[in-house]
Amino acid sequence: MAEYAIGRKQKLMMSRPFKVTLKLMAYVLTCFVIFGPLSGLVIWSFAEKWHWPAIFPQSWGISYWLKAFKGDMMNSFVNGIEIAVITTIIVVAISVPLAYVMARYRIPIKPVIMVLFLLPQAFPSLPIFANLSVVFYRWNIAGQKTGVILVHIGAAFIYSIWTMVSVFQSIPKVLEDAAYSMGASNIRTFFDVALPLAVPGIIASSLLVFLYSLDEFTGTLMIGSPFVKTLPVQMYTSSMGYEMQIASVTSLIITIPGILLLLCFERFMKAEYLSSFGRI
Amino acid sequence: MNHIKIMEKLPDRRKACYGLLGAVIILPAVILVLVIYVYPFLQSFISSFQSHGSFSFENYKYVSEVYAYDVFYTIVISAISLLCVMLIGIFIGGYLIISENKVLEFLFKIPLFIPFVVVGHAIRTFLAPKGILNSLLGQIGLVNMESPPDFIYGFTGTVIALTWKQMAFALLLIMGAFESVDKSYLEAARNFGASGFKQIKDILLPLSWGSIGVSAVLIYTSFLQNFSVVMMMGKGDGPQHLMIDIYHRINYLNDYGVANALGVISYILAMGAAIIYLRKVLKNDG
Repeated sequence: MAEYAIGRKQKLMMSRPFKVTLKLMAYVLTCFVIFGPLSGLVIWSFAEKWHWPAIFPQSWGISYWLKAFKGDMMNSFVNGIEIAVITTIIVVAISVPLAYVMARYRIPIKPVIMVLFLLPQAFPSLPIFANLSVVFYRWNIAGQKTGVILVHIGAAFIYSIWTMVSVFQSIPKVLEDAAYSMGASNIRTFFDVALPLAVPGIIASSLLVFLYSLDEFTGTLMIGSPFVKTLPVQMYTSSMGYEMQIASVTSLIITIPGILLLLCFERFMKAEYLSSFGRI
Repeated sequence: MNHIKIMEKLPDRRKACYGLLGAVIILPAVILVLVIYVYPFLQSFISSFQSHGSFSFENYKYVSEVYAYDVFYTIVISAISLLCVMLIGIFIGGYLIISENKVLEFLFKIPLFIPFVVVGHAIRTFLAPKGILNSLLGQIGLVNMESPPDFIYGFTGTVIALTWKQMAFALLLIMGAFESVDKSYLEAARNFGASGFKQIKDILLPLSWGSIGVSAVLIYTSFLQNFSVVMMMGKGDGPQHLMIDIYHRINYLNDYGVANALGVISYILAMGAAIIYLRKVLKNDG
């Protein structure tokens, strides 16, 4: 036994330099894999002139960044923010009370409602939105902000409802029971006990809704185009047209809010909160 | 014991939420989902069986003649990307849990917040024939500058871009599952000299199959329904992802019949996954 322990110790000691090298290689490889593609965006966004096969651009500049703050792109940016703000407000207004009810009460035909809210996550959305655009044409809201906002509300809702339910489920029920035992009504208990406790969770999930709407692509393209453009759609068009600089600047503008959110809320980002990010 | 009696006297908290207030809370959401998802979903079935204003199987016949290979291609591309993502998720996720390496964990989570459209463009700048990687490799003489290798558009590029984006999501979900495994099992295994690989294979994996299955389903559907990356990494000729075919049919040919037949096929491809997902999630809810 003692022999085994010594042998093991020796093995550990001998492998230390090897282990450090391995770890270093892991860091280098990870940075390469993650930042490699992203570095392309950053370099291209500052490249005035970049001809193959130079590793770096022949001349640098910020003229494409300046372009981002006027004309079409500014327009798309403002559109996107406007749509995202309205979407977030409406989604939160719909899903907070509903999530509370789903977390705490028996509701009629609950299984049906659960399936209704779960299934949209499991089916391809492009063919669905294609048919929705026909409906919206009939209602005269295709190619308009109203139509895009409606799609975003629907798409963000099916994710946010589950986030909100888990927020309310994580609040200890005893606190609400205490309120009831003091004679508080259902409504009062919700507003005075459950809601204040849920505020951090609600803020986190409404930020995710905001980000989802800001990044949403398929629905905006199917319903909004060609009249309503947001940055992802604008970016897609310019990347497909090989306008590398414009596309890269737009990409970075789209990406920055998400990265900031990741940095600020790293600790709060639980897996169940983030399932919407598998789709955008 | 006293507090239990008090609890019993409380009004029944699990009482049903009927009445006007309940309806006001529940109905808007139900109507929203019915309009945005259920109606268009049903409409695609109806439209797929209509040709020249009457009921027919014409659209499906056309699909089987023209798009059969694309259906196969879509399945293969989703399956291979899923395999890559799950392998990365399980082994890197397992390693990150065992080594508790927060820095690498943070790095791997970055792609989660980068939308698919941006990923498509980023991978293009990086891996295109005249992209950054070839330029770098060219400097050290590994790549022929005159005719840089062009493998990125089509199958390979799509798989790489999809894998790059979703590995963060897979890590998030799988590490969440691994996180709930009791750490003392790992410690015990380590004391007996189990390697990292063994700890993953024999402890972490068997204890979290259920959650890993759900993650796989979610990721598979996200590949099946992806539009932006497959469009940006696609090649003009050769087989196409079903979503591109649908978009093409609608946008350029205004042919909703065939587009919806393709859509219905994509629903069927997602159906198995959807059922597994639903059963698992509803079971968890109790």
